[in-house]
Amino acid sequence: MKSARHLVGRSLTWLAIGVVVFTGVLATLPVPQAADGPARGVPEETFAIVDVTAFDGEAFRQGWDVWVEDGRIRHAGQKLDLPEDLPRLDGRGHTLIPGLIDGHVHSFLSTLRDALRFGVTTVLDQSTDPAFAAAQRPAREEVARGTEADLFSAGMTATAPEGHGTQYGIPVETLTGPDEATEWVRARKTEGSDWIKIIYEDGSAFDMEIPSLDGETVAAVIAAAHAEGLAAVVHVSTLETALEAMAFGADGLVHVWRDEVVSEADARRFREAGIFVVPTLSVMVSADDSALAALVRETDETMLSPIQRQTLDGRFPGGLAEGGDVAMENVRRLRAAGVRLVAGTDSPNPGTGAGISMHGELRLLARAGMGNAEALAAATSVAADAFGIAGRGRIAEGRLADLVLVRGDLERDVSRSHDIVAIWKDGYLVDRAVGSAGAGPLAEIAPAPAETLVADFEDGFEARFGAWDVTTDQLTGGASSANAAVRDGALVVTGEIAPGLAFPWAGVIWMPGAQPMQPVDFSGREAIRFRTRGDGRQYSVMLISTAEPAGPPPAVTFIAPEEWTWLEIRLEDFPTATPEIIAGLAFVAEEPVGAYTFEVDEVEVR
Amino acid sequence: MTPGRRFRIYLLEARFQFVEVLREPMFAIPTLAFPLIFYLFFGVIMGTRGVSLAVPTYVLATYGVFGVLGPALFGFGAGLANERDTGVLLLKQTTPMPAGAYLFAKVMAALIFGAVVVAALFLMAAHAAGVALYRWQWFALAGVLLAGVIPFCALGLAIGAWARGRSAVAVVNLVFLPMAMLSGLWLPIYMFPDVMQDIALALPAYHHAQLALKVIAMDAGQPVPTHLAVLVAETLAFLAVAALGFRRADSFSMRRSR
Repeated sequence: MKSARHLVGRSLTWLAIGVVVFTGVLATLPVPQAADGPARGVPEETFAIVDVTAFDGEAFRQGWDVWVEDGRIRHAGQKLDLPEDLPRLDGRGHTLIPGLIDGHVHSFLSTLRDALRFGVTTVLDQSTDPAFAAAQRPAREEVARGTEADLFSAGMTATAPEGHGTQYGIPVETLTGPDEATEWVRARKTEGSDWIKIIYEDGSAFDMEIPSLDGETVAAVIAAAHAEGLAAVVHVSTLETALEAMAFGADGLVHVWRDEVVSEADARRFREAGIFVVPTLSVMVSADDSALAALVRETDETMLSPIQRQTLDGRFPGGLAEGGDVAMENVRRLRAAGVRLVAGTDSPNPGTGAGISMHGELRLLARAGMGNAEALAAATSVAADAFGIAGRGRIAEGRLADLVLVRGDLERDVSRSHDIVAIWKDGYLVDRAVGSAGAGPLAEIAPAPAETLVADFEDGFEARFGAWDVTTDQLTGGASSANAAVRDGALVVTGEIAPGLAFPWAGVIWMPGAQPMQPVDFSGREAIRFRTRGDGRQYSVMLISTAEPAGPPPAVTFIAPEEWTWLEIRLEDFPTATPEIIAGLAFVAEEPVGAYTFEVDEVEVR
Repeated sequence: MTPGRRFRIYLLEARFQFVEVLREPMFAIPTLAFPLIFYLFFGVIMGTRGVSLAVPTYVLATYGVFGVLGPALFGFGAGLANERDTGVLLLKQTTPMPAGAYLFAKVMAALIFGAVVVAALFLMAAHAAGVALYRWQWFALAGVLLAGVIPFCALGLAIGAWARGRSAVAVVNLVFLPMAMLSGLWLPIYMFPDVMQDIALALPAYHHAQLALKVIAMDAGQPVPTHLAVLVAETLAFLAVAALGFRRADSFSMRRSR
């Protein structure tokens, strides 16, 4: 019996060793490496993807070959007669789709790059800084290697003074009545707006009171846009305003509403009016919705840029009121009535991320009853047609080779769309790694002017070089506020730190570059010197070196005392390796929550 | 019998049977080596000619099924028939060892062999073919594959209960090889004509392979409950067939001994 007991022990030991080794093997097996970039040897520019399931913008096609030549699609179809020496990629087991088109985004900083890294090759921006849009538009005409999604944009948005759309720190010319509509629209046309976006939002759906354009002005702007040959889309958040906007002749609505379920009769009226809807379910359901949470969980964290992480982690202040189900039901009913639906995310609003959220939107559209092909069409051909963008959203002869190869079969399950094998933009492979795309080598950083004085505020808000602006955590979904004014030759900053974020902030930022957040080289300078006074609370100077900080920027805190006091912060005291590279210097209040007031003056980098 | 004693008997029987098959190179080598050689050829050498890893990833799941299928069928089918013929089974039946321990030991042996094959396949796929799966996929795939020993052991039991000694190996091979091919374990099922794809619908290995492929999103799209329902129903059917076989064998041997 002794030997039997001995054998039992040995058997158990071996069994345990076996289990440990087995799980150890499983735990050390390689996982997909995002940072590896595209798979080795994936062809670009002129090549073919053979024997692939292709979604051509309308339907899935089995066993297609797609022949790309000089960045455009030369042929697509079954069993093409391909040249012998054409580089080819075996597409079996994969699905090839047209580059995705996000029908509702707001673009700044790295969002266009992030969008492209997740297969969104074109974005339809529903308001951004007109200067930013103007700078981006030429790239969409070129067939060349690029690192950013192509931008089509409404540019500046039509809204009332203090209305929705004015709170983001980008310039907005507001309207006060219908008689201003024609001039306003013409100004947008001159700026290059691709269509007109109008805000019709009084906040009632969110239990807020927000100044809004009146119906007459909305109607006048729509009419003026049509007179100038531009489409007009309207931001609404209630069924009532949606019906009004339709009656005014709007071409599209860029949100679905969550206040009320649309009746079948009204849904039919939307269809008969030919109006399209961009439901933006990504911001209509909770960001903690299972589909969206799973998407983030299934995404390798190293694939996310700092801005994507920040915005995905963000939440609308106070959370979203209930209504996600109503939004879903509305999409279901509009679809049933045959209303054209365009996929759009409204990224990078809190809880969303540029690019990545498009894959969540597809999941939500599928949940709202859309078939897999239908959801993909809403994110490609239907979006392109709705906004009149020629040449995009389809895999067909002569189209731009904006293509996304996805692992597995999307015809069966569109929720796999995020599992991307390769992305081609204009036929060129896209490097999916964060920051690898045009991260701005040091050589491009402009040297600082010889002058050390940044601003003395004797002649107003202007800086000697660069520009001042307000900055708040609204950028990442917070609700803190900041107002800046020049009074008695000093910059007075007031506002309120609102709860809701882990690191709320609000204040002012000085950006030394010719473009916002363009880094400038201050080599040889030693310190930042300025005069301050205030309410006695603690503030921070944040030093932002690049447009894409990897985490919170390095900061040094200071107290703003009651009496004017000179402060000098040595650059080397900022916890960063490159304090001499400055894209922005922010003077901000942080925790604790509450009102704040401080002044700065005689700012110098010396 | 105390639970501790019962546990010890189960464990020791499992150990003895495992060591027994380990010492039987005619069993151990082919069941371990075949899936690996096949994977080396179809997955690594042929599969990585293109730049896409679709083929090595796909066949990893199917050769995994193949790798689990072999030990279960041979251990139960051929092993059981052999032990019955040589009288080892009768000898074991005369001992106080519960019949459950015998079956448990066989399942454990199949499970351990299956785990070895799966681990070796995974290592080869990862390091020779460059297959990369999400962590949860590696674990889920291993779990799904190993769970396959249950229906396959039941199938082996049914064969072992009916086939006689030496012919059992032939019968097992007659089931094993065609089923592996028709279930799409060697070459993806979608490469076959429709008629053959229809046959696959009746085979447990097909449904098990589809579940494994589901983990890596390469299955044919039928719902999970369908696969599970077929596997459960067929497992129960195999067990019933096995029970009938044993009853017949018992009455046969009783008649003979009279």
